Order: sequence, then structure tokens, then C-alpha cells
Amino acid sequence: MKKMTLISLIAFGSLSMIGTASASDAVCGLDNGLLATGESIKVGGIYGNAAPGDFSAATDAAGAYFKCVNENGGIHGRPIEYMVENDQWNPELAAQAAAKLVDDEAVVAMVGNSSFVEMSVNAPMYAENGIMAMASGCAVSECFESSNIVSTNQGPLSSSVGAAIYAIEELGATNISCIGMAIPSVGNWSCGAVQSYMESKGLNASFVLLNPAAPDVNSALLEAMASGADSMLVNLPAGLGIAFLNAAEEQGIADAYSWTSSTPLYDASVPKALGSYWSGKLFISAELTTIDGAGPDNQNWLKVMDAYANADDPRDTFAQSGYLSAKYFVKTMNQMAPEKVNDRAAVTEAIQGINGYTSDLMCGPYYVGKADRHMPNHAGMIVEVRDEAFHVVRDCFEYDGPYFQPILEAEKALGLR
Amino acid sequence: MVKRTLTLLMLAALLLGVCSFLGWGKPPKVVGLFVVSGMAVGSLYALGGIGLVVLYRATGVLNLSNGAIGALGVMVAWQLQQWQIPETATWIIGIAVTTLMALTYGRLIAPGLAWRDPVVKAVATLGFALIVLGITAFAWEDDIRKFSLPSDKIAYTLLELRITLTRVIVVLSALVIVIAVWFYLSKTRTGLNMRALADNRDISALIGIPIVKTETIAWGISGLIAGFTGLMFGDLVRLEPFVITFMVIPAISAAICGQLRNLGAVLIAGLCIGIIESMMTLSPVLKSVRPMAPFVIAILVLMWVQRGRTNYFAGN
Repeated sequence: MKKMTLISLIAFGSLSMIGTASASDAVCGLDNGLLATGESIKVGGIYGNAAPGDFSAATDAAGAYFKCVNENGGIHGRPIEYMVENDQWNPELAAQAAAKLVDDEAVVAMVGNSSFVEMSVNAPMYAENGIMAMASGCAVSECFESSNIVSTNQGPLSSSVGAAIYAIEELGATNISCIGMAIPSVGNWSCGAVQSYMESKGLNASFVLLNPAAPDVNSALLEAMASGADSMLVNLPAGLGIAFLNAAEEQGIADAYSWTSSTPLYDASVPKALGSYWSGKLFISAELTTIDGAGPDNQNWLKVMDAYANADDPRDTFAQSGYLSAKYFVKTMNQMAPEKVNDRAAVTEAIQGINGYTSDLMCGPYYVGKADRHMPNHAGMIVEVRDEAFHVVRDCFEYDGPYFQPILEAEKALGLR
Repeated sequence: MVKRTLTLLMLAALLLGVCSFLGWGKPPKVVGLFVVSGMAVGSLYALGGIGLVVLYRATGVLNLSNGAIGALGVMVAWQLQQWQIPETATWIIGIAVTTLMALTYGRLIAPGLAWRDPVVKAVATLGFALIVLGITAFAWEDDIRKFSLPSDKIAYTLLELRITLTRVIVVLSALVIVIAVWFYLSKTRTGLNMRALADNRDISALIGIPIVKTETIAWGISGLIAGFTGLMFGDLVRLEPFVITFMVIPAISAAICGQLRNLGAVLIAGLCIGIIESMMTLSPVLKSVRPMAPFVIAILVLMWVQRGRTNYFAGN
């Protein structure tokens, strides 16, 4: 459908961009209205786009922000050359893309990365080459438990624990069944953290891992039901999550359990796809502020997208995350000495020195630091699916549990607590 | 006839053995739930397998593009529903599109490969599948969509598991299609022509069988079944073209269990695969390898029926 209207959108968009870009009141970088000139600063980004999913929203948004920055003074007057590669969810292509950007193009940093394949493959390579990846779509443990990757998104672990906390405190859950993906470093890692959290509170939990290649979600549902749980935590990609909830609807069990989900189901098209059956029954953990959030930075993100992104680029959580990574990168670079911005080692050190950046897009402060793991975003909000729309039912709250202890200790050391 | 019965008995024994092993020590009610759930998915595998066998018996082509064609059909139906076109019309148009796609391949591409080895014919349909999948993915970018039928709202309870009317329709349709196709192939002139064509194209041509007409009918029937199967997959599994396209793989396993000939065996094999796959969920060790089930079962059945004789890709 989107492609069907692509040609007309491109035609209309290319004409309208001329007017809107200059007329936009988006605030970017130095915000001086001067066109950046001179030698460009090379920045890389890798996303995944092939069946079964397109994760280009973060790099699209980061690219839009960089365009805006280039029209507003750039980095110390110099433009950013944002070089983006698609790994097509292929580990070999992911390694090739990183080698091209890091070795051949000598980018100073990676920004907006949003391919979980790429992160698993390239995390050691980034560390070896002393380059930081300010990612926006981390999903696997290797991404969060790496010295050279830091993401603005939460990933499945944090958002699942957030959903579990809400299920306990607001929905009275005592025994949660977490339904995750049978993918190494994803399902067992994130649902395992939910289990640890529940056990730390003297409660019960179990998890069911769904093989993404198996079309039958009924068996997973039956397994979850047989676990004795009183609450279901859906920790699946949106398409599979919808299929799982459809199977639950078929069994008519929405009222027999409380239902929560990690962030993937926080997507504008989900309430309509779920229909009226799930109205008021499903609570979803949101990693960043709501898409229509009234905060100044969220409004600025929307302005940047309207003025500098394509009309059909998604306005979703990943796009917010990509914008935020790009914004923090530019802020850091502009704080560096101008002669150092092309020095990768200096850029890496500057990024590692980020501490206490705030935005209304994120519930907590953003920081990096020199550590063997990074998970600055571990506070979020909860939305309810009601009347084919999302409604915030709990504003920003911080997650806790055994997994977060070392992270909280690191924050204390950085003076954030 | 004896061999076919033996194959069916072997499948039944395999099913019973696996179910007993996996369900041992579990409450019968729990085992019953998983069996019924597996039947629901198995009937989808069977339906896909039947579509493959119908065409193979008539034309000698193992059509690997059935899943992709079905996916395109259900996406068209979904799209039309978004444009507020009456549901019944969207189903008809969706199935019409799949029939047209199958006929297009059958009339324009398949004749050019008629004298090639069956493997070449099968690989050509795989290429067609990837083209159709590419077109579908281009037209409908990855997004969250839901396709539902009015029959989803009606449900029955069996062994404490709610079964929607849609699932009942799938099981009954598989059964009806098996009977109808058997009757058509056995009792009608066109069916006789199809069987003759599949057995020996050269001689069929020499004795005056209208090859183009017969094959066109076979491709049309195949497209109809693919369209119907696509609608069912889209409703009961997921409205994701990639997933629907590759549902053809377990369907192939079911078809192979029926030796690409025996429609009854395909039906039973599809159900067996679904039930065994579902029952594997009960094993902490085996549940992570559930997607292997269709292929392991197909290999076991092949080893049983082969016994040094039939070569599926060199039948001509």
C-alpha cells in the first residue's frame, strides 16, 4: 500500500520539501541557520531491511536529523556525511557493511544502528577498532553487554521487566508466563530476566519460547496456560504477538489472565489489528515517550521528521530512538575541540564521556561511560490498548531487579544517583 | 493398494508412538488439548499438500509457488477490505487472482518446460514463487495487519479447546477436496486425461488428448485451491506473505508422505505432522526443534515407502 503511493509521495514530497525544509522551525545542532561547508565528517549506520521486517526507521530518523544539522551549522561548521548500509538480516552482509564503513570509509562513529543481526556479529569488531556505536534498535544481549555499543532504546529485557512490574503492582500478577522468541540472546535472555525479577520478589514465573519458524502459536499458548500462570507477558515481535493474541482470543481467555507486553506491540497499527476484544485488557511497556508526546524534544523530533524525512518514513519508537542517538552524537561532537572531530579515538573518548543528557523522549538520563555493558534506558511508561488507541496508564517509572544491579552501581559511580 | 494401506498404518503407528512417548505421564486432558490444537494446524498442512498433489498428478509439476500465490491472493483480499469492498467480493477476487496467477504460469511458462526433467520444472516454480513474493513484498511493506473471516466468531468446544468454525471449515474442506478430486480424477473424462498426461505426455499427445486444455484445467484447479488455502492461512496463521509463502514447505512434507499420489495419505500425513509438532511442545528437549518435525516425518515415510524403488523426480 505504502509503495503504491510512493511515486506520488516522492513527487509531492520533493516539491514540498523545498518549501518546508527552510520554513521548518525544527531545532538542530548549533541551530544557527548556516549551511555546513568544508570537509565532511563521516558517520556510519547499519539497519536491517528484508523479509520479515524493515528496521530502517532509526537510520531514517537519524539521517533526517543530520540533514537538519547540516543546514544549521553542522559540527563546528562542517557537514556530516551519513553513510547507511542495509545488512538484510544477513550476518555476512552485516560484517561486510561494518568493514566497509569502519575500515574503508573510516567513519568516526556509528549512529542509529538498528539491526540485531549486525550487533551480534559486529560487537567485537567495534571494540577491536575502538569505535563507538550509538545504536537505536538493540534487541540481543550482545548489544547491551558490549563495551562499544550503547543504545537509546530499551530492548526486550528492560521493557519486559517493566511490563512485569506493572503486572504485579497494578494487575495483581503472582505467576507470570513470559512468551518470547526461541532466538539465542533474545527470548531466554529477556524472559530469564523476568523470571529472576519475579523470583527476587518471592513470586513465580516461567517462560515459553516460540520458534519463529513454527506457524503454530496455539501450542505455545497451551503451554503458557498449562504453566499455572495468572498473567501472560507477550514478548514477541508485533506480527507474532498479534498471532499469539489472536489464538488467545480464539480461546476466549482474555479475562482469565492479565495481559502485558513488551514494546513491539506499541505500534500505531496494533490497536486496530487487535480489535475491540482486547480493549482495556492489554497493557504495553513503552520504551520512550508516546509518539504524540507533548514534550518539546518529542515535538522537535516530529518537526524534523516532517521537514527532513520522507513522508512515508515511520514515526515510531525506533524513529524516536534514532533521532535521540543522532541528537546526542551531534551534541557531543559540538562539545569537542574542532580539530579533533575527525579523530576516531577522540570521538570514542568523547562519546564514552557522555553523562547525564536528558530529553523528554526518555524517562531517565542518558549516559555512556567506560563499561563492559550499557543500558542507560531502563525506565519507561505503560500504555493501555483501549478503543482502538493507546492511553498512558502509568507515567515514567524505573525498573529494578537483579539484572539492573550492576547498571545501577555504574550509575552511582558516574554520580547519577 | 496394500502398500498404500501399509503406509497409512505406518503413519498411524508413528503418530501413536510419538504421542504416547511425549504424552506419557501427562493428564489425558492436557494431551487431548495438544492433539486437537495440532489437528487444526495439521489440516492446514494437509490442505497445502493436497493442492500440490492435485497439480502434480495432472501435470507432473511440483508447484512450489502455491504458497506465494496464496499469499498474494489473501493480501489482495485484505487490501480490498481496507477499501470497504464487501467481504464476500474480496474473497472471490482474492481467489480469482490466485487462479489467474496459476493459469498465467500454466499457460505461459509451464509449456516451455514441459519436456524438461521434473526437477527443472519444480525449480522453475520456486523461481516463480520468489518473483511473486517479491511483488507482494513490494506492494505491501512489512506492517501489522489482520485478516479475519466471519466464521472466526463462531466456535465449538472439543476437549475443552475452543475450535472456531474457520478451523472446522479447513478440516472439512480438506476432506471434501480429497473426495472431490478423487472423484474428478477417477470418474470424469478430463480426470482420465489428466492422469494419462501425468503418466506419459508423449503417448497422451499421440492418442489425441487435448494437452493444453487439460493442463489449463489442472492449473486452474491448483490456483483455486491455493487461493482458498491462502485465505485460510492468512486468517489462522498470520497475514505475513513471507510466512504464508513458506508454509508450502511442511505442505511438501505432507505431499511426499502421500508419495505425491495418494490424496488420502496426504490428508492423514498433514494431520499427523500437525499433531506430532504440537505434541513436541510437551517435551522440554524437543520443543525447540519443532520445525524439524515435518521433514523428519517425511524422511521416515520416504525411507519406508522407498525401499529401493520409486524415484519421484525421474518418474517419467
